[in-house]
This record gives sequence, C-alpha cells and structure tokens, in this order.
Amino acid sequence: MKMTKIYEGNYQWIMFGRDVNKPANIIDTNQYMVRTARRCLLMDPGGVELFAPMLAAVLHHAPVEEITDLFASHQDPDIISSLGLWDQALPKAKLHASKLWEGFIRHFGCESIEYVGIPDNGGSIKLDSTELKIIPAHYLHSSANFHIYDAQAKILMSGDVGAALEPSGAPIYVDNFDAHTEHMRYFHQRWMPSNQAKRVWIERVRKLEIDIMAPQHGRVFKGDDVKRFLDWFEALDVGVAV
Amino acid sequence: MVMKKKTSQTKSKFVAVASIAAELSEVMDVAKEISLAAANAKAIAFRAGEKARGFQPITDFINELAKETIEKVNRINEHAMLLYQLTVEEYRTTDAFNKFEEVIRLAQGSANESSLKASSDLVQQRMHDCRKRFQVNIDQLLDQLQEVMHPARAARVIAANSRIEASQAGEYLQSLQAVAESVDHAAQIIHDNVQGCRSALIVINFSEK
Repeated sequence: MKMTKIYEGNYQWIMFGRDVNKPANIIDTNQYMVRTARRCLLMDPGGVELFAPMLAAVLHHAPVEEITDLFASHQDPDIISSLGLWDQALPKAKLHASKLWEGFIRHFGCESIEYVGIPDNGGSIKLDSTELKIIPAHYLHSSANFHIYDAQAKILMSGDVGAALEPSGAPIYVDNFDAHTEHMRYFHQRWMPSNQAKRVWIERVRKLEIDIMAPQHGRVFKGDDVKRFLDWFEALDVGVAV
Repeated sequence: MVMKKKTSQTKSKFVAVASIAAELSEVMDVAKEISLAAANAKAIAFRAGEKARGFQPITDFINELAKETIEKVNRINEHAMLLYQLTVEEYRTTDAFNKFEEVIRLAQGSANESSLKASSDLVQQRMHDCRKRFQVNIDQLLDQLQEVMHPARAARVIAANSRIEASQAGEYLQSLQAVAESVDHAAQIIHDNVQGCRSALIVINFSEK
C-alpha cells in the first residue's frame, strides 16, 4: 500500500492507495487519513479485501487506540464493507456516515463502533483542535452522499466526484488535466445520475477555498486543476441527461 | 493456516445450520397436517358412532402428539436460531482474527505494530468462546431432536392401532383407514427429516472435535 502525505501542518493528511497486491478484479481505491496529535480520522476506509494492507499501513502513522473516527462518504462496498473488521479492531471508535444509510451500512457489521448519523445538511467532525466540515454531495452518486472539507489544509475529500478509471500504477497527482478528462468522462456520465445535483454541488464547493481535491478513485487534483475540474464537470452532461 | 481452514469450516456450518432450519420448517408443516387429520378423524368417528368407538380416543391422542411435536419444534427452532447467530459470530471473529494476523505480518517494523495486540487477543478470545458455546448448544440441540422423534415413533404405533380400529368401522372403513395412512406417512416424514437434521449436526459436531 503506497502512502503519500498530501498535507503537513500541525497535523497531516495521508493518502493510501495503489496497493500492488490488490486483487485485479476489484476497483482501485484511495483511502485518506487525517492525523492530529492524538486522533485519526480514516475516510472511506475501503472494502474487506483491503482491510489488512490498509490497517498495516495506518500503523506506520498511528497506534490502533488513536484511530478514533471513521467516515463513509456513502454506503458502497468499496467504501465501507471493511466495517465489520474495523468494528473488531477499534471497539471505541465512531463511524460518521449518513443517517439515511444507517440500517444498510450496519449490514457490514457495526456492534462496537458508535454509528454517528449525519443529517442531510451535513455537520462537522472535531479531531483535537481541528474541525472538518461534512459537505452534502447528495446524488453524487449516492442518494445520501457527503464529502469532507478541511478549511485549514484547504483540502476537499470528494468521494466519487473527480474519480478516474485508469490502469493500475497511475501517478498520484493529475499532471495533464486535458488528457486526464478521458479517464473521468465515462465514470461521471455513468455513475452521476443528475445534472441538477451536480450544479448544486458545484455551486456549493465553488464557495470553498480548495488547494487539493482528493477523490476516492484515481488521481488527486492540485491548484488550478481543481478549478479546471469544476468547469469541466459543469459542462458535462451526466446520468439521465445523457 | 489452521485458522484459514477454520474459516472454511465455518462456511460449511452456515449451510448445515440453514438446512436444519429448512428441515424443521417441513416438520412443522407435517405436524400441522397431522393435527388437521386428527380433527378430520374425530369428525368421521363422531359420525360413525358406535362403529368407531375405539377410534375416538385415538384421534385425541393423535392431536396431542401433533401439538407436542409443534411445541418441541418451536423450541428447537429457537435453539437453531441461536446456533445460527453463533455461527455468524464465529465467522466474523475467525475472519477478523485471520485478518489481524495478516496485519501484524504486514506491519512488521512499523512504529505501532504491537498496538493491535489487545484487539487481536480479544477477538481470539471471542472466537474461542463462540466455539465453546456452539459445542454446548449443538449437543443440546441433538438431545432436543432426539426427543422430537419420540412422538413421531408413537404416532406410527397409533397409526397401526388406528388401522385395526378402522377395520371395524363398517362403511367408514375407507375414510378412517385413509386417516391412519396419512398419520403414518406424516410420522415417517417427521422421523426422516429429524434424522436428517441430526445427521447434519453430527457431521458438524465431528468436524468441530
């Protein structure tokens, strides 16, 4: 499991992904962690197949007892089907995920971990002195979907928005935006159901200061590529409009 | 390696426990049929009057046996459900334990590799507890299944007596003989199904030991 520090301040953002031992027939995913002094938040910690390499990688940065929070952007198996295993490893942790999906996500196993249901209008997660905003991204693609925004690090963890399907071993960062759109087009047209939902989200995130946009699949956007992505996505017809 | 094998054993347990539930559901249906046959026989015997005098107490007895079977099967079903829950819990803890072993192997040399030990020990403890509880419950379930075979055996004896009584019921002979046949057939099905459950459990029990 490759580990990349994407922000270093008085706390860190670490990206995990590009696991060379991942079975070939499951989609590659990016997992993210915010590490503060005594706490860690794992965002979209991944599927069952990924649990062991993911936790082993996390242990390079934090002990188990400091992994205090998990976040699931939505209910898909590549996002959170490992929950039953985290539940056995982290008996005192909290899972922040949509209230709407609670009864569904619990099917993955959630007896010890506290399920903190996120209301439709979002909320926040406090890690030591760091506050992360939970931004609604409904119908992108899931009917109850959220992203994480860190105003200090200026990072938006954007779930499936900005995702790309590329052969394994792709670089971490987008280096040629125009070329990269070819890896994103099908994914967004096919998985994102609604232009209206897309416009609402774009309007919402344009108000945020974003240096890094970190999706759950594919490459991370930096600097001007974030704005380029929002413009490209705005112009793209998706879902029922296609 | 041993633990990996245990995971596949747990998977076969799911199938065995689920098949027990299916067999018991059929036993329940058949017991209800016996109860219905008893009510039917009672009506026939009432109409037959003096000619079926010996048959009347038999119908009550058949009904009692059906009721007893239904009650026993209900209790067994509850027990089988507990066994299923233990199988799920064992599957989860065994899977987690295997994965934790993998994490510890992959995290060798990391700063926090030992921090998973407490969770790993706890999961291992839960896994062993599940196996112990499963063992205790499987033995109890085998006993309960043995018990439910008693009314089925008694029903077959009663069916034989019913045939004799039916032979003296004149024009009601055929109707009452049909009742006796149906009770006998139902008791045979119950016996076979329960025996099937016992065999499945004995296989699990053997592989556990």
